[in-house]
This record gives sequence, structure tokens and C-alpha cells, in this order.
Amino acid sequence: MTARAEFMRRLRAEMAKTPGLFTAAPSPRPARPRERVELLRRELAERWPATLERFRAELERVGGVFYRVPTAAEVPAVIGDLARARGFTRLVSWHEAALGAECTRGLAAFGLDVQAMPAGVPAVPERDRLRAVVAAADLGLTGVDLAIAETGTLVLLSGAGRPRTTSLLPTVHVAVFDKDVLVESLEQGGLFLEAWHEGEAPGERGAVINFITGPSRTADIELTLTRGVHGPKEVHVIFVEQGVEGVGGG
Amino acid sequence: MSDTAPELATPFRERAGKALKDDFLQQALEIATTKFITLRREAFGDFPAGDALRDRARAIKEATLQHLDRYLDQLVDNVERLGGHVHFAATAEEARDIILDIGRRTGARMAVKSKSMATEEIHLNEALERAGITPVETDLGEYIIQLAHERPSHIIAPAIHKTKGQVADLFARELGRPVPADAEALTAIARAELRQKFLDADLGITGANFAVADTGTIVLVTNEGNGRMVTSLPRVHVAVMGVEKVVPSMTDLMVFLSVLAKSATGQKLSVYTTLVRGPRRACELEGPEEFHLVLLDNGRIDQIAGTLREALYCLRCGACLNVCPVYRQIGGHAYGHTYPGPIGILLTSMLKGAPAVKDLAHASSLCGACADACPVRIDIPRMLVELRREVSEEKIAPWSERLAFALAGRLLRAPRLYRLGAPIARLLQRPFARGHTIRRLPGLAGAWTRTRDLPAVAPQTFQERWPALERERP
Repeated sequence: MTARAEFMRRLRAEMAKTPGLFTAAPSPRPARPRERVELLRRELAERWPATLERFRAELERVGGVFYRVPTAAEVPAVIGDLARARGFTRLVSWHEAALGAECTRGLAAFGLDVQAMPAGVPAVPERDRLRAVVAAADLGLTGVDLAIAETGTLVLLSGAGRPRTTSLLPTVHVAVFDKDVLVESLEQGGLFLEAWHEGEAPGERGAVINFITGPSRTADIELTLTRGVHGPKEVHVIFVEQGVEGVGGG
Repeated sequence: MSDTAPELATPFRERAGKALKDDFLQQALEIATTKFITLRREAFGDFPAGDALRDRARAIKEATLQHLDRYLDQLVDNVERLGGHVHFAATAEEARDIILDIGRRTGARMAVKSKSMATEEIHLNEALERAGITPVETDLGEYIIQLAHERPSHIIAPAIHKTKGQVADLFARELGRPVPADAEALTAIARAELRQKFLDADLGITGANFAVADTGTIVLVTNEGNGRMVTSLPRVHVAVMGVEKVVPSMTDLMVFLSVLAKSATGQKLSVYTTLVRGPRRACELEGPEEFHLVLLDNGRIDQIAGTLREALYCLRCGACLNVCPVYRQIGGHAYGHTYPGPIGILLTSMLKGAPAVKDLAHASSLCGACADACPVRIDIPRMLVELRREVSEEKIAPWSERLAFALAGRLLRAPRLYRLGAPIARLLQRPFARGHTIRRLPGLAGAWTRTRDLPAVAPQTFQERWPALERERP
């Protein structure tokens, strides 16, 4: 193994051979990204219906399923229906605080066996048990931190009560969101990324951010498009008109 | 350890010849590359901002290389601040040793891997096996290739040379039971097989599509979700990346994400883009306890001021393979190295030196389709010409080839001699020309016509016609 100093010395020696030869600059960084994000949110709030329509079209294009309900109270029925149609009973979900909505309780009424993730981090044996439960689950219910219309993408931050695997290991991923997390473009998404990384990360923030664009797919065998090779086979996204309080925000 | 593939036991000409006679391969290549070309064209056709973003992406690569020391230092400091460990590998061997050390220290017995050209490049799997750590490739294409003991034939579709029947046979042998030759069924089998391995593995090994200096973030782009599994379930995560993969900021990252998937598969975005910042944080239920980043030189740093500098911009999207008339005919294996296609020739020279590509440097028609398709507009043909010059001047090429090119060069530089050439050539070609074509030449020149036709020198060349044409001008 080469030491850092030696590695960097060699690099600098090579770099010294081309001084001033290339003059390109990286992208200009937004100053005060958090303030810019707030401005953008206000701007987007005025035209969210068009953004939502584009998001729906792109999500469906990549094989996702879109639902629209008036209030969070209708969410359990949507999930209950799609679970029954597939004979699914086991659901894992983000912690209520991370999810924002109180839909987990309503889910039991639809015959679903619900395991919500804890807000804190339990001891190893309990973590192992939870991992097995998530791995065996049919449905994983999460919130959404950003919904990008340009690509039909869901952005999920990992962290306290919002494990990475809820949207990964179950056969079906169900996400609930509202107009507060809608953005139009990847570029706007970049502004949020800058804002999320401004200063020290808050204690409840995890190490991973995932961009999810439709169900898991592959075309590695004779270019035949197949869904659900490792991640979820289906992605269902529920838009709540009146808002899913607490979902998103990062 | 040998860095040469078994394919290299035969010369390039024979490898290419074998590929040309392989009917299934020819058909698979035609279908796959045509499909990729169409998907890419549609994706950019739908995206008016594409051209400007490609310029932007190129500028960012250029700017990053110009201050690479600053961005690498920033990346390393940030990863360490987040509780990760950074290792520096000057060679492939050093990179392997670093990873084996991590494996031994953590008592690892099984490693799950998401698709990574960098780990292909350092031949990590063989080294892991010898150290008693079972490597499991989890990208479906790579898994197939691993079962077949082969190497990827395309940067993003490693198993395009395999039929579903061949895949079914491989799976049947692995599982000890018959399986149907159906893509959907085979994918379901791989899902079940690999799911257990994700849960059991001690080590998760990935490459990195990008690393963001400003935040210490490693970025993985996958469609299957294996990148997420590998970075979430095992207790140790090791990411291996070439030093050139660093980008300054999240704002820059979004520029690359906007063009990468469109160039590779025609998707607006791949299914999963995963941003990983160090090991599991205290508030998280899951995630690796250890995070290691291995920064790989392996010939890259030498090119910062070298002729192949621009090849360091490469995003590994595979677009140049799909449009290359040579790749489309011979496929990836005939190139004989980790990286196939036009960019592969340059990367092979970067990693192994110019002698390794003395034949491959000529495996291009210099038509420029690659430069056209490249999301960061790498001028591949220019560098291929540079390589040819180097191969000739450094006396790497055989004497006959150098003599022929030296004579041709002399001829082209002397207008009088050149003009004299046409009537002489017409005289000499008389026994061999059939119509406008020469199909076979004798002696040394026969090597040229064995695989190509040569247009015959015209009864009257353009130069000879020019004086008359000029007189007729109104």
C-alpha cells in the first residue's frame, strides 16, 4: 500500500507538467442553498398540479403505479386492496414519525400484519430479528423526501426510523407523498442535495440517499426486460392531496 | 499474477476471425448494439438540453483533472471525517492486497459484489478465491459470466454474448436441477439464489460511478438494486475507484446523472442512484459498520500529462462500443482485455502500456462515431492515431508494418512522387484488379487483402481530372 503523501506527491508531479493548459471550471455552486430551496418551494407551490401530472406520466413510463387520494385516511384502503389482490399479508413500514401519516394502524383492519420500524436503534438481537422480518415482508411502506417529475424519481433519505431496506427487500414498495416534495427537474433536485449537505448533518440523518426510478429491472438475458431482479418487483406511489404531515422535509 | 486473459494466447487477428464466424454472437451483437443505439437516440431526441449538458459534463471533467489533487484531498478528508477509511493503491496488486487485508482482518468468508469495472481491472475475484473468500457477482449479467468462468463482453451488458439456453444450462449445473430457458424464470431463480447471499455475506464490494469531493459521497448507479443490497447488508463495505471518478460537488453530480443513463441504456435515469456517505450512522438500524474507499492509480496518474489524458473523462457508459463498426462485428472478447471497444483500446494502453495494444490500435476505422456518441465528447479517434504513431515510433509494431507506413508517409509528403504513383499503381494492379476492386494481392500485401477489399486506382484519378475540370469552370 502506498502512503497518502507519496500518492499525492506523484499526482502533483504529473499535474505540474500541464499548468494552465485547461481552463474549464466546475459548475457554479448555489450560495446559501437552504434559502434557495425555500424560494424554490414557494415558486413550485404555485404550479404543482402540472408538476404532479408530469411526475405521474414519467412514473408510469418506468413501470410504477400512481394513486391519488384526498386524505391520508384513504391510504390504508389503497394498500389493503393491492395487498389482497396479490395475497400479501406482511407489511413493514418506516416509523410513524418518519412516515408522517398514521396509516399503519388502519392497515391492521385490512388483515395486514404490520411491523413498524423503531425510531431508535435497539440491541443487536432485535436488529437481527427486524432484518429477518423486513427480508420476509411482502410490502414495504415509506415516505418520500423528493419526487422528481422529469424522471419519475423518488428520493429517500435514510436515517432514524427510516431504514434503507424498507424500500429494498420487500417484494412491493409503497410510497406516500404530497405536493410539498414535488420538484420539476434533476437540476432542482441538485439544489436540495446541496441544501441537505450544508453544514453538519443532523443526528437523525443516515449515511445513504437513494434515488428510485421505478421497480428493479434487468435486461441481462438476451435483452429481455425483466422486473424485480433484486429490488422490489412493483413500486406503488400514493399522492395525498391534503398532505402527509411530516413526510419529507429531510 | 498474470494480467492477461486466456483469450490473449491467440493473436488479435485470430480472435477477431473466430468472433466473425460465430453466428450467434454476430446476431446477438447486431440486435444488442442496434437496440442500444436506438434507445440512446430516442433518449437524447426527447431532451433538448442534452447537448449543452454534455458540454457541461466535459468541462467539469476537465476542470476536475486540472485540480485533481485538491478534489482528492477534499474527498479523502471528508470520508475520514465521516468515519470511513481511505487506502491508496498505486498498482492493481496493491489494490488487491489492501482488499484482502480488510477481508482477513474482518474474518470475511463471502463477499458480494455489485458490478464494477475497476474490480474487473484488478482481477479481484481470483485473488479473493485464493485467499479463501468466496466472491459472488450479483449483477445478473456478471453472475452469469462468473458461473461460466468468462469475462464481460460489454461494459454495461456483460453477458450479451450468451443465449438464454446457455444461461439455463449454467444455472442447471450450479443448482443441480433443470431450469427453463426463459428470461423471466431465470431472473427469478437468480433473485432467490442471490438474496440469501446478500444476507449471508460479510463483505460488500462495489466500484463507484462518481465520488463527490465536497461531501465525501460515493455514488453507485444500478438498475437491479444489487448496489443497494451490497452497501446495506454486509458488515463491511469496500468501494474501489479510479482516482479520476471524483467530481467537485452535488451540483456537478446532477449534470452527469442527466447524461449517463441516457447514453448507456436510453433511460432518463437508472432505477437506483445510491449516494453513500461512510459507514452506518449511529441513528441507523442497518448499514455497514466499516467503510473503506480504495483509490486506484494503476496507470491513470501517468496520463494526467500524457497523450491519453482525455480517456480519464470516461464514464463507462458503453455508448462508444455500440456505435463502433469494429465492436459491432467482433464483440468484446476479441479485444482480449478488461475494457473492450474504442475506449477500451485507450484504457488498455493506459493500464498496461502501448505494447499491449499494438494490434488493437488499428482495430478502428477512425470513423468518429465513438466521439459523436460519447456523453463527454472524448476524442477517441485522435488518441487512437496518437497510439498508432507511438506504436510505430517506439518500434513496437513489426518492421514490415513500420516500413510500409514509412514509405506511405514519404510518398504522401512528396506531391511529385505521389502524382507519379497513380500510373505506376495502374500498371502494377492490372493482374489483380477486377472492375473497381482488388480482392487479392500477392506477398506481404496479401495480409491486407485477406480481410479487406482494396479499391483499385481509377483509370483517371481526381488529381488527373482536376486540370480539365478547372478549364470547364464558367
